[in-house]
This record gives sequence, C-alpha cells and structure tokens, in this order.
Amino acid sequence: MTTRGIDFKALSLKDALDLAVLIEQEAKERYEEFAAQMDQHRTPDAARFFRYMALNEAKHGEALAARRAKLFGAAPSAVTRAMIFDIEAPDYDAARAFMSPRQAMTAALASEVKAHAFFVDALPALKDAEVKALFEELRDEEVEHQDLVKAELAKLPPDSGLSDEDFVDGPTAQ
Amino acid sequence: MSANATCDFQAKDYKSDLKPIWCPGCGDYSVVQGIYRALAAIGRPPHEVAFISGIGCSSRIPGYTTAYGFNTVHGRALPIAQGIKLANPDLMVLAAGGDGDGFSIGGGHIAHLIRRNIDITYLVMDNQIYGLTKGQLSPTSQKGRTTCTSPYGSLENPVNPLLYVLAYGAGFVAQASPTDLAGMASIIEEAIRFPGFAFVNIQSPCVTYGEEAQQIKGLKAISESLSSLGHNPADRLAAMDLAQHYGEKLHLGVFYRNPEPAPTYDALIRERQAALSKDAPPKERILDLFIKK
Amino acid sequence: MRKDLVFGMAGSGGDGIVSAGDSLLQAASAEGYHGVMTKSFGSQIRGGESSCRVRISTEPVLNPGGNLDVAVALNWEDFLKFGAELPVAGTTVVIYEAATGVAENQIPLVGVTPLQVIAVPIAEMAKSTAGTERAKNTVVLGLIAGWFGIGGEAVMKGISKKLARKSQELVDANQKAFDAGVAFAKTHPLKADMTVEPSKTKGAVKLLTDGNDMCAAAAIFAGCQFFGGYPITPSTEIMQFFTSHVWKYGGAVLQAEDEIAGIGAAVGASFAGKKAMTATSGPGLSLKSEMMGLASIAELPLVIVDVQRGGPSTGLPTKTEQSDFFAAAFSAHGDVIRPVLAPTSVADIFRITVEAFNIAEYYQTPVIVLSDQEIASRKETLDPIDTSQFKILNRLLPTGSDLQDYKRFKQTENHISPISHPGMLGGTYLASGIEHVESGAPTNSGSVHARMNEKRIRKFDPLKERKDLFEITGNPDAPLALIAWGSVAGVCREALQMAREQGLDVKLMVPYLLYPVAEQTYRDFFASVQKGLVVEQSHLAQTFKVLRMHLDLPKGLQSLARSGANPFLPGEIVAALHHLLSELQRSHEGKLQPQE
Repeated sequence: MTTRGIDFKALSLKDALDLAVLIEQEAKERYEEFAAQMDQHRTPDAARFFRYMALNEAKHGEALAARRAKLFGAAPSAVTRAMIFDIEAPDYDAARAFMSPRQAMTAALASEVKAHAFFVDALPALKDAEVKALFEELRDEEVEHQDLVKAELAKLPPDSGLSDEDFVDGPTAQ
Repeated sequence: MSANATCDFQAKDYKSDLKPIWCPGCGDYSVVQGIYRALAAIGRPPHEVAFISGIGCSSRIPGYTTAYGFNTVHGRALPIAQGIKLANPDLMVLAAGGDGDGFSIGGGHIAHLIRRNIDITYLVMDNQIYGLTKGQLSPTSQKGRTTCTSPYGSLENPVNPLLYVLAYGAGFVAQASPTDLAGMASIIEEAIRFPGFAFVNIQSPCVTYGEEAQQIKGLKAISESLSSLGHNPADRLAAMDLAQHYGEKLHLGVFYRNPEPAPTYDALIRERQAALSKDAPPKERILDLFIKK
Repeated sequence: MRKDLVFGMAGSGGDGIVSAGDSLLQAASAEGYHGVMTKSFGSQIRGGESSCRVRISTEPVLNPGGNLDVAVALNWEDFLKFGAELPVAGTTVVIYEAATGVAENQIPLVGVTPLQVIAVPIAEMAKSTAGTERAKNTVVLGLIAGWFGIGGEAVMKGISKKLARKSQELVDANQKAFDAGVAFAKTHPLKADMTVEPSKTKGAVKLLTDGNDMCAAAAIFAGCQFFGGYPITPSTEIMQFFTSHVWKYGGAVLQAEDEIAGIGAAVGASFAGKKAMTATSGPGLSLKSEMMGLASIAELPLVIVDVQRGGPSTGLPTKTEQSDFFAAAFSAHGDVIRPVLAPTSVADIFRITVEAFNIAEYYQTPVIVLSDQEIASRKETLDPIDTSQFKILNRLLPTGSDLQDYKRFKQTENHISPISHPGMLGGTYLASGIEHVESGAPTNSGSVHARMNEKRIRKFDPLKERKDLFEITGNPDAPLALIAWGSVAGVCREALQMAREQGLDVKLMVPYLLYPVAEQTYRDFFASVQKGLVVEQSHLAQTFKVLRMHLDLPKGLQSLARSGANPFLPGEIVAALHHLLSELQRSHEGKLQPQE
C-alpha cells in the first residue's frame, strides 16, 4: 500500500477529506470486485461477506463525502485515484477460490490493519492541525472497523480443520 | 478526436465489463490495474489503443480493457501486433502474453521485433508455469522444478527473458511485479511512452500452480529495486550483469533505457512512403509497369 | 508460312538459354506477336540443366503448347533431362551444338525421326565472332531470326538496351554473334518453310509480364495496402513486387521472420482495417493453417496466394502441380469454409486476384488464390487490361447507429456484420480465435457455437450462385465433357478447340471458384454429360474427389490425373476424348437415340 505524488506536509483539510473518500472508494470497489470473483468461482459465502464489506466502505465513504461537501462544497479536488495504491483495499493476493468466510474475514481484517498503519505512518508528516485531527479520527475508526470484523469472526463456528483441497475438484485445463 | 490527442481518462475508463476468468489471487489482476493506470496517465482514448495477446491465462488481458483487443493464437501476438502497427502507425499498440507464449512458441519473433525497433510495448506475465493448460513446465521454470510434465524434476536450464531481450538490443527493458503496485504502474507507463520496442517482464504469481516461494510474500523477500542499487539504466552491460540474477533475485525497475532511442521502423516506413508516393501515378495505371518500350 | 511456333531450348545454366528465351519473347512481343514463355531448371542454384519453352503466335496463346516445332539443344545430356517437358515429334526441327560430336543421324532421341536435324557450330561461331563461347545464346537468336523470321532487329535492340549500361564493346560483340547466326541460317535454309506470318497486331500496345508480378499488381490495384510474407519458391516475386512498389501507394510490406509471422502480420493489418495479403507455396500453406483458421473465426478479410509446386513437403520446388486443393479447402481444424479461387493464366490472374479481394472484403474471410508455378513464372504477352471495368468492394463499415451499441458479430439477415477497426470511436471490440457471442466476448456455450458456425458458413451461400466464376465453352448439351482448372485449363482449352475441329461434340468447364463447391452449377453442367474427364495434376485426383464428396457425378465422368512435373499436352487430351467417344458410341450400340 503506497501513495504517489502526495505531499503530506502540504495536505489541506480538503485534500485530506478527498483522500479519505478515495481510500474508501478504492476499498469498496475492491470488495465488489472480490464479490464478483467469488461469484465467478462459486464461493457464495465469501461473496456475501465481501458485498457486506463493500456496503460498509460505501457508507464510510458517503459520510466523509458529506462532510467534505458541507465544508468545501463542489470545489475541485486536487487528489486523484491515481495517487493511491491499495490503502484500505484488500490486496488482490488475499482472495482465493473456495475461500471460507473465515479466510474472507481475515482478509478484511488485514485491510483494516493496513489502513490503520497508513494513518499512523502519515501522522508525523502532517503539518495542518485539522488534517492531523482528521487522520487521528480515521486511525481510531479503523480500530473500530477491526473490532467489527473480529466480532464477525467470533460468530463463526470453528473451522473443521479439514482442507478444502481434499474436497474440491482440481483445476481444469482450458 | 484526432490521433495522439490526450484527454482526461481515468483508470476505470480502460476497464471493460467482462469478468476475468483468472483465479482469485492471480497476479494478473494487479497487472491489469497497472495497465489501466498507465493508460490513464498517458490519456490516449481507448479506441485508439490496440491490445494484442497470444494464448494463456495472461493473454485474456485485452478483453478486460476497453481497447480494441485481439486475442490471437499461441505465440503469435507479436507478428500480428507488428502488422497492426505497420498498417496504422498512429495507433498505440500493446502486446501481452505469458512466459510460454512469449519465450517458447513465440520465442522466434521477439528478436525480429526488437531489431526492427517497432514501436510496440510488450508485457510478459512471467510465472514460470503453463497455467491455462494445467501446470506444465515453462521455458522460465527453474531447473529441478516438478510440474505435470516434469514429475522427476526439470532437466532444463531456464531461459533468462531479461538477458534474451537485452542481448538482442531492445531499447527499453524493465521488470515489475505486483509486489510494488505503484512501481509497476510507473514502469508500464514508461514502457508505453518509450519510442520503440519496449519490454517489461512482470513477475505475476500463479496461485494455483506456483510454488510458495513464487507467491507475493516470497517475491517480496527476494525483491530489490534497481534504483536502490545505484544502477544506471543507460549502461547496457551493467544491465546484462544484473539480469543474470533472474530467478534468484527479483530486480524491479528499468534495466536499460536507450538514452538516444533509434528511429522506429514504423517512422522509417512513413518516411519512405512519403518520399516514394510523391510523384507516383495512380494505382489504376499500375499495369503501365508491364509495357515494355 | 506458320501462324504459331513452339520453341524448346535447353542447355546448362552457363549457356544463357533462359536469357535467350526472354530476349526472344520480348522481341516477338515488340513485333506484335502473342507469346508465352515457361522455364524449367534442375536443382542446382547455378549451372544446372536449364531450359525454356517459347511459343510465338499470330493468335492469342492459350498455353505453352504441345510438341516442339523447334528444339534447340546446346548439349544432349541437359536436353534429355527435361524428357516430356520438351517433346520432340516428327514435325520438329532439331538444332543442336555441332561440338557435341554427335552425328545428325545419331541424335539420342528415342522412337522419333524429327522433320530435320541440323548440327550448328554454335560455340565456334560465338568464339570467332564475339570472342567468347558465352555468346552462344546470341548466335541462337540469330539462327532463329534467320530461319523463322522472328526477332531480328527487335532482338538486337533489346540486347543492346540491356547491355548498353555495361559497354559498347559487349554490344558490338553480341551484334557480331547475332549476325553470324543469321548468316548461317541464310546459307543453310530449312527444308520446310517455317517462317512465321507477320503479326496482325504490330504496333498495338502489349503488356508483357509473368503471373506473380501480375498478381501483385492486381492486389495493389484492388487496394491492398499491406503484404506480409516470407521467401519461398515459386511465390517470392509477389513479395518482391510489393517491396519495389507498394510504398508509392501508401502501403507497407514486411518480409517477416517466418511464414507464420508473415501471415500474422497480414492478419494484424486486416484487423487494423487495411486490405492485406500474403503469398506462399505448399510448405508455407501448411505452416499458415492456424492463422487462416484464426482469420476465419475472427471473420477478418485476407487474401492468401498459394503458388502450387510439387508436393508433399519440400516436394519439387521448381515444378508445377495441383495438389494443394485439399490443403487450400480443408486445412485448419474446425468447421470452416474458406473460398478458393484459381486463375488459369497471366491474363486472368489479374481479375481473379481483384475478385479475391472483393470476396475477402465482402464476406469478411480469408480467401485463397490457388495459382501454380507455371502461371506464376511464365511470361505472357497480353492485351492491355482496362482497369476501369473492375468494381472494387470494401468491407462493410458500421454506421453511426451501429456504433451506438456496437456488436462486432451481430446476426444479420445475410450473416455479414459491419466490421470496425482500431481508431473508430464506438467500434471497440475483442477479436479472438476463441468462440464468441455477438459482442465478441468469449463463450463456450453450445447453442451460441452452433449459431456462430451457422453464421460463418451460411454467409457464403450467395458465393455458390456466382455463375461468372465459371467458364463453360462448347455446346451446353454436349455429351462429352472436360473439367480443368489452373494452368491445366489452358491445355484443355486448346484441346477443346482441336477436338471440335475434329468434329467431337464436347464442352469444357473451367471453374474459377473451386471451393465452396457450387453444387447447382455443376449439376446443370452434368445434366447432358455421358462421358467426361476431370483433368488435373494431382496424383490423388483431389478435384475429382472433392466433386464426388459434394455431388452425384455422372457415371461416365472419369478422372485423368497424374503427378506434377508431368505436363499434359493438348494432343493427349484430344486422344483421350476420342477414346471416350468410342466408349460412348459402343454404349449406344443397338439403341436408337431418343426421339426429340
């Protein structure tokens, strides 16, 4: 997870909010993509969970966008999607065919941890006080999100201990 | 919109609606994102981009973009891409495929595109295996590797794609991987922008057939950026020296970039067409050539 | 006086025999004669046996002819290597090199007494006049001018032009050698008068070229803007014509790294919206199969010229044959229809190639032009062709409304979908070898596959109705028939003329469209046929078999087939027709013809 072309020192509150929205958007799209991959690969439980995560990310994004609109209206944004790379979006590497709900949630948890780390790492470089405050807020929110996912994980029945590979068909040649 | 005009395109403008058949976790998902980003950074309208591939998992890539795609036959993306570029040099022409498609059946073509210096960008998704056909040995598989066609371990030394391309004199040679997403997008962008034949070897793991060491985590453990090593990409010999570590180290970045790119084949052809068609009679009079005076 | 003479000359590569034939043909053409020249060689790159056959006539020439009227042998060993390609008969005048030491009554030609045999000290004459034995071929041209009245001034004019760049000394030497030949002819007149009548068309503009150059010129005329190929005998000249000329018309040519890359580049150029072509011979056609299949399923226009040579595999690179029919029609796996057209001469390869592009563009398909080594390498004089008579078709482009929600493989009434190309806004699509739905997206659905196969196959139905792609001469109700295509058609045309002059009721069908098989056209032709021959240079009789695969053939239709490098002669076809006539008459013994 990296950024490109963002000068954290010079980040304004508008920029920071826009950045936060983009981060959520990126994550939402990734979860939707994962859900589609799970559908393609007949893994409905994981698909369902990823759709749930996509909705969450969408909600967070909308809330942040509303704040931004209130403060800055429709002023043009200086931050673009081209500047961020998988901040909160789960790595493509995290998905697998036939992944269990536990594995899906573990991937989501890792993303929240990643996002948390992003805000933590960025904080020292920030100059603007309001931006600092926002990042701290977002950092703490990530902890909340992690707790949400952990709660979901706790609801899961324990894993059978059996490997999927012993049950599913092998890959097919095309 | 005139040729070569650029507009405000975003990565999502280059993404088609077709759902990839790749296994979840496949490195190619990241690669195609890198391609979307590179194209967006350059801003060429999707309908002016021709994206040609051979056969293989990675060769599905053109269909997942909004460019004119041509998913051709095994090993023949380059000859067909060559024809497209020569027929219409104004198009942005990209070619893609896997290590088998490129270095096994397609191996004979690379040298010629390089020596003609045709302005095409060739992206090879190297995962050291034949994934689409269920896990056979590939020309870049390590010696000793066990696969469907080498149950007792491969007896063959792998091809070194970087050395191969450097030795034939390519003007731009780089390596990238989903281990560094931002780097990969930059490298792809730079390769496309480079005037002349540009090659990017992309270590893109296969989650279904790849070994543990070849997955993202394993790749991260052996990766090193060329810039951090102080490598000068104008030095072809130094590039070849580093390229020898293919397989043991994952060097990311630009191995070689010709500081004075030679004229491209397509540009030279245009010059010739302009010169020779100046005083030519119309084609309806072509049979006059057969009147012996 | 004669209207028509067939010369056959043989020697070794160093004798300049082919060069002499070239000069003779050019001179004859300049004098207004019709002519055709074929060449035949051994397998050495240089210095092997070498021969040419030049036919000169006051009438248009249909084929290189049968028995020689004049045989010129610079040495017997090489002459005999050509066997049936240079047939000597009782009507032949044989001229040979005296230095071979063979007596005039002991020439090594078995079973025949030629009309006249003359030993000429050609080498000696060359040496003493031009100062070198190498001028032998010019002496021969002098002999021909003296004895047969062809060439003369025109020959020396041509030679001077060719050599003037080198030195006047060389030109003078050749003039002396030529004059010596003429002088010898005058002092040793032939028993029979074999001078050729003056041409009727002297001064008229004539074209002189060979099948390969004509094919390439036709392609450029038809709008071909890209050629991708690889050198292979006997088609390389097509690519070379492009390398010399296509740039002038804004096109491009690529000598690719191999056969597959050659057709690959052409496939790419077609995808990019340009008319594209490749050319090869048998071995290349085999390599190109996969790409042809790709072009078929991707519905891309493409012209592939196959200049047939002896097969299989490397076969006989310098000899003609007609054994690529199966490969042209059937190679490349899957259910595919790929149109195959066959020219018969240098004159008609122009319109057949133009037609190939029209068919390729209209039906969005690869089309094979099945030429052969003889047509490709033989030089012919022809009347100028009025290019304005040709209609050029271009592929169906999408309209504005098509581009609203563009589907590349949209089902239409005639199964032909508008085709876009990169650069066209709104026309983006995925082309591929994999089966696809209307939009081009991959599918493995059986029902879509059946629909798409239907589309790709049914779209060719109108092609099978094209009567203009068949030439039928003779009485349409004749009971005797010949079917032949390619260079063999030329032989059969002459045989038809001869047979009809001898009173036989026979008709000839020359299919220019070999595949798909136009069943109804054949059925109509067969309606009156009681005895007939499918004449072809294919040991397996591929044409006969393909026809039998599609049609109920008349019981009396037989195959007359043989391997390439064993040319058919008009005389033997006529003899075969006489034989069929006997069979026909025997079968009617005791039966009254049905009353009209």
